[in-house]
Amino acid sequence: MFSKVKPFIMLSLGLVTALLVGTVSPATAAAPVTLTIETFGDVIEPSALIDYKKLHPEITIKTKVSSMDALSGNLITYYQSHKGPDIAAIETSYSGLWRSHPEAFVDLSKAPYNANTIKKNYAAWRWSQGTGDGGQVIGIPTDIGGLEVAYRIDLFKKAGLPTDPKKVAALWPTWDKFVATGQKYLKAPAIAKSPKSYKGFIDSGGTIFNAVLNQGTEKMYNPTTKKPDYKNAQVKRAFLTASSALTAPITTKRKGIGARYQAYTGDWYIGMKNGAYATMLAPAWQLEYIKRYAPTTKNLWNIAAVPGGGGNIGGSQLTIPKYAQHKQQAWDFISWYLSPHEELKIFRTYGLFPATDVLFNSSKHCVGTRSPGFTKALTAADCAAVRNYKDTFFGPKGSGGAPVGAIYANGAASLNSIFEGRKERGITQYFNSALGRIENGQAVGKAYSQAVAEITKSKP
Amino acid sequence: MSTTDVGSTLPSAKPQKGRHSSKPIVKLKSTGGKKKPSKIQRREGRWAYTFISPFYIMFLIFGMAPILYSVYIAFFTWDPLDATHQYVGLQNFRDLWHDSLFWMSLRNTFSIWILSTLPQMLMALGLASILRNPKLRGRVFWQTVLLVPNITSAIAIAVVFGQLFGRDFGLINIVRGYLGMSQINWIEGTISSHIAIATMITWRWVGYNALIFLASMNAISRDLYESASLDGANRLQQFFYVTLPQLKNTITFMLVVGTIGGLQVFGEPATLGGSFDGGDNHQFSTLTLYLFKQVKDNFAYGMASAIGIAITIIVAIISAFNFFLTRRISGDES
Repeated sequence: MFSKVKPFIMLSLGLVTALLVGTVSPATAAAPVTLTIETFGDVIEPSALIDYKKLHPEITIKTKVSSMDALSGNLITYYQSHKGPDIAAIETSYSGLWRSHPEAFVDLSKAPYNANTIKKNYAAWRWSQGTGDGGQVIGIPTDIGGLEVAYRIDLFKKAGLPTDPKKVAALWPTWDKFVATGQKYLKAPAIAKSPKSYKGFIDSGGTIFNAVLNQGTEKMYNPTTKKPDYKNAQVKRAFLTASSALTAPITTKRKGIGARYQAYTGDWYIGMKNGAYATMLAPAWQLEYIKRYAPTTKNLWNIAAVPGGGGNIGGSQLTIPKYAQHKQQAWDFISWYLSPHEELKIFRTYGLFPATDVLFNSSKHCVGTRSPGFTKALTAADCAAVRNYKDTFFGPKGSGGAPVGAIYANGAASLNSIFEGRKERGITQYFNSALGRIENGQAVGKAYSQAVAEITKSKP
Repeated sequence: MSTTDVGSTLPSAKPQKGRHSSKPIVKLKSTGGKKKPSKIQRREGRWAYTFISPFYIMFLIFGMAPILYSVYIAFFTWDPLDATHQYVGLQNFRDLWHDSLFWMSLRNTFSIWILSTLPQMLMALGLASILRNPKLRGRVFWQTVLLVPNITSAIAIAVVFGQLFGRDFGLINIVRGYLGMSQINWIEGTISSHIAIATMITWRWVGYNALIFLASMNAISRDLYESASLDGANRLQQFFYVTLPQLKNTITFMLVVGTIGGLQVFGEPATLGGSFDGGDNHQFSTLTLYLFKQVKDNFAYGMASAIGIAITIIVAIISAFNFFLTRRISGDES
């Protein structure tokens, strides 16, 4: 019996001494640290974590991936209970909320982080989405959504529309023209005679609302008074534009150019594959969805400029919550992961369009830029990589791929920041619901006034 | 072996127990008073409190304290990220009383509850009767299968039912299309969305309920059936005149438990719509969904607490009603 116990005692003694020695001995190697990251979607790319492990073997990174809405809700709970992950991702639709509560985060503009020294690498309008109302820096931007239109070459051809991206973009300089093109497409004999009832020109007419909003200068809040101002003319215009897409007459029985799919639902994924809709609004990160969920449509999609000129949907910031345990290590990771070098790598691997516009903005000085963790400075080839990037999944077969790098770079360079308030997302949601009601037959005026009444009642 | 072991220890344990408990009773009688329990008894009482205390301490910390706190919050305009909160008295309750969305959510909740409870009870009864059939092969297997929906993750259920109820590519509408029927826009209609949600709930709970029915059916004495069949009752008559009356208490129990669960229906409508709105026109917004909307989209914790209290009151009223109903029914029996 003793012989059985002895090795166990020896082992535990050994372990204890090892632990003691480990804690007492001077820090020759950095102490092992586990960093926790709460994120959503594709914000943290797994291959980058493997690279970081090589660079910092002492850091173990644990990621918890949830949805962007759940994550923002969790952050409220964490802040109240004086806890928090080391790093949290915030989607831009919540940036309005968190920018008005910079006290919930580490102010990265202060020492030892001094985030303002790397500010020059990032697109100014994206950077401002991570700054608090008092000038604090609460988050560093990850990627840029940008906004273009993805369209189906085969279906356009079938409907007798041009298929070249430039000519396609010329079809719709404005949203009104876009709706008119949609009507033309659905009335085209080859499309109209198809027996399926589900076809549409765009996946959902309601998405136009968000796109038009993001092309303006004012959303749900007044940028100067910073108070809710959801009755303003720009919101109304965006609402009416989207409504016109939803109510545009096609046949005696049918109105609206949309296929009436809510994004990321089952029907939407299937429709993407089998041509239920010919266009969709495509921020850069959407391209990855098309590749992943509709691999059979290779060389059937192409990218054209969005009506109304530019815009952005999505993107996020990486933040360090106030009650994070390992702030310095978290900052080390963020400043590496979101550095121009790593952003370029992520772009090449996953197509997430970098927020570090030093990589593609010709007015910035790119060659020679250095990033922590990378020995070489950016070369001229690196600096041309984004603009020259072509994606062979998109564009017709044999064309060498669509020049998505140049398309999104041009779109992102011309953008301004739009002030977003605290309940931006909640308020926008009421208008989205109203557009859904219009799709189901409610009158436009009634839907709008119901939305405004519901928002007012919610006391934003 | 083991059964005899248990048998042999039991008799020896009995007198011991008797010796402890009988003594004080005698003493009590001799003194003639009901008060003043003996020292031993008091000590035993104290031990009893010690033994039951873990539950009550945990309940006080994790159950009662949050409840009381949320009652407190209901009297404030309580934004979670604000440093100070404004006391508003009963304003939240007044707002709620005049809030058409609240009443709509209440109606929806009841509609979904009725649509899910009635078919669920009938189907569970039917399933239980089938499972009771002695000719059925592999009974344990079927019983186990019945519980599978209950332990399936809510997200998986939402994905599968999302495929079933899809407007264009949903299985149900595809089948309807083959049969020449029109498509149903499940999510956008009021009643159709309630049916879709009720289907999800029914699918999830029918097996569990069937097993409870089965257990209480098995507890019914065989003699009753034998005498019924001697009187010439066929299987159907046996079911209606023997089984069903004997299950009265079980059915009431399940109605009470089902009401409490049914008034808190949340997961199914939340996943069906993908938000806390319960559809674009709130056509399937339920009470708990509306509560969550106040928390997540409006940061109105005070209002949400008021809704929570309203739900509690409604559940209490219905439970009281159920309680009297149960009393009536069990009164009939005696």
